[in-house]
Amino acid sequence: MSAEPGLRSAGRRQAVALSIFLLVQTLGTVFFVGDVIGDLRAEPTSFHFIFEALVTSALVLGILFGAFALRRTIELLRAQEQALDVARGALAEVIDRQFEAWALTPAERDVGLLALKGLDVAEIAGLRGAAQGTVRAQLTRIYAKAGVSGRAQFAAFFVEDLLGAGVPKTAAEAAQ
Amino acid sequence: MAAPRSSYPGAIPAGRRDAPPSLWDPVVRITHWGIAVSVLSNALLNRGGSVTHVTLGWIVMALLVLRLLWGLVGPDEARFSAFPPNPLAALAHLRELVTGRVRDYPSHNPAGALMAYAFWATLLVVTATGLVMTGGATPMQVANDKAAVASGDWSALIREGGEEDESELSDAAKEVHEVAANLLLILAALHVAGVFVESRAMRRNLVAPMVLGERKK
Ligand code: HEM
Ligand code: HEM
Repeated sequence: MSAEPGLRSAGRRQAVALSIFLLVQTLGTVFFVGDVIGDLRAEPTSFHFIFEALVTSALVLGILFGAFALRRTIELLRAQEQALDVARGALAEVIDRQFEAWALTPAERDVGLLALKGLDVAEIAGLRGAAQGTVRAQLTRIYAKAGVSGRAQFAAFFVEDLLGAGVPKTAAEAAQ
Repeated sequence: MAAPRSSYPGAIPAGRRDAPPSLWDPVVRITHWGIAVSVLSNALLNRGGSVTHVTLGWIVMALLVLRLLWGLVGPDEARFSAFPPNPLAALAHLRELVTGRVRDYPSHNPAGALMAYAFWATLLVVTATGLVMTGGATPMQVANDKAAVASGDWSALIREGGEEDESELSDAAKEVHEVAANLLLILAALHVAGVFVESRAMRRNLVAPMVLGERKK
């Protein structure tokens, strides 16, 4: 939960940095082109001008590429955020359906979800305003309904769904 | 009455709240506040024709070039195609505003879009006439000329004087420059009032997406 806003703001910082860079590029180009046009009016035929025209086209191309790259970065960023939201929504759905299949009571669902989020018995009890003994009993019932041995296996049940592909082959198996 | 609205691209029925950007992209934000600060400073704070004035004017030119380029290659909601100038749609939007049933748009609303184009067109006029008055001199040249005049070399003034018709053109440019600058101020007052009214009507802060976005929990 806490890693994800960090991911977002890191991406945003990158987009801001690229934008500032693009702005500096544009500023430099506009000032340079103004100077070139001034030179051109003073001495229309100077050899100097050919050189300056080359530099100008390089600068303009740089801005165009910078703008396209920035657009790609922003779109990629948005796609990532969306994928993250979809993944989170999908996982929540999977958990919901599984809890239903195990016929957990509403109270057990809440406790199960908090346990999945990594809260310990004392924290869950504090959040729900219940005694620790009650929470421990609820967890035991949840594990029994789910047919798992304890909290680690309970969490692994959903992580395995997320990874999907199963256990990776060992090097020896892959070689065959 | 329905026709102009439904022909506006991406118009979304009232009630869906997720449409407009919760945060404008950095190019839109940087160019917006850069232009706003420079325009207000040039119109109200510094002396016309000073080195500061011309420098800020050139910065506005660069910001404008960048924003207009971004209107062609930027992300969807920053592109002109997301908020085409459409006076009929703008009128329809204002009518909705009066009746209190506003809809969401994926970019600027049609009235705000017209405002943006009016700003950009006026800015082009102001900077173009400014360039005519200064003979296209860059801020560096203006600074050099001023330094030369200050040290007693009046020949630098010749660039500004010139022939009869050139100074006539410059006089006309000066008139247009000042009228357009005042128009910018009027537009800005309307603009800020518009942002305030729309924010009330949509029950959504429109300024936050232009600054840093909503601060989320
Ligand atoms: C970007 C927005 C701009 C605004 C809002 C603006 C506004 C104004 C205003 C209100 C005046 C007349 C008031 C005064 O004399 O102090 C003025 C004068 C002047 N402006 Fe601008 N200006 C802008 C851009 C520019 C640019 C880009 C240039 C030149 C490249 C420029 C060059 C001048 C000059 C030379 C004068 C002096 C006219 C005279 O009194 O002979 N301005 N400007
Ligand atoms: C002279 C000063 C100003 C100028 C020239 C100006 C110009 C503009 C322009 C051209 C746009 C369209 C943005 C784009 O697509 O790039 C815009 C949007 C916007 N401006 Fe300004 N602006 C000025 C001052 C302000 C101020 C002081 C505020 C703060 C209240 C403000 C708030 C906004 C907001 C919130 C939007 C987005 C509106 C929307 O959601 O559609 N502007 N402005």
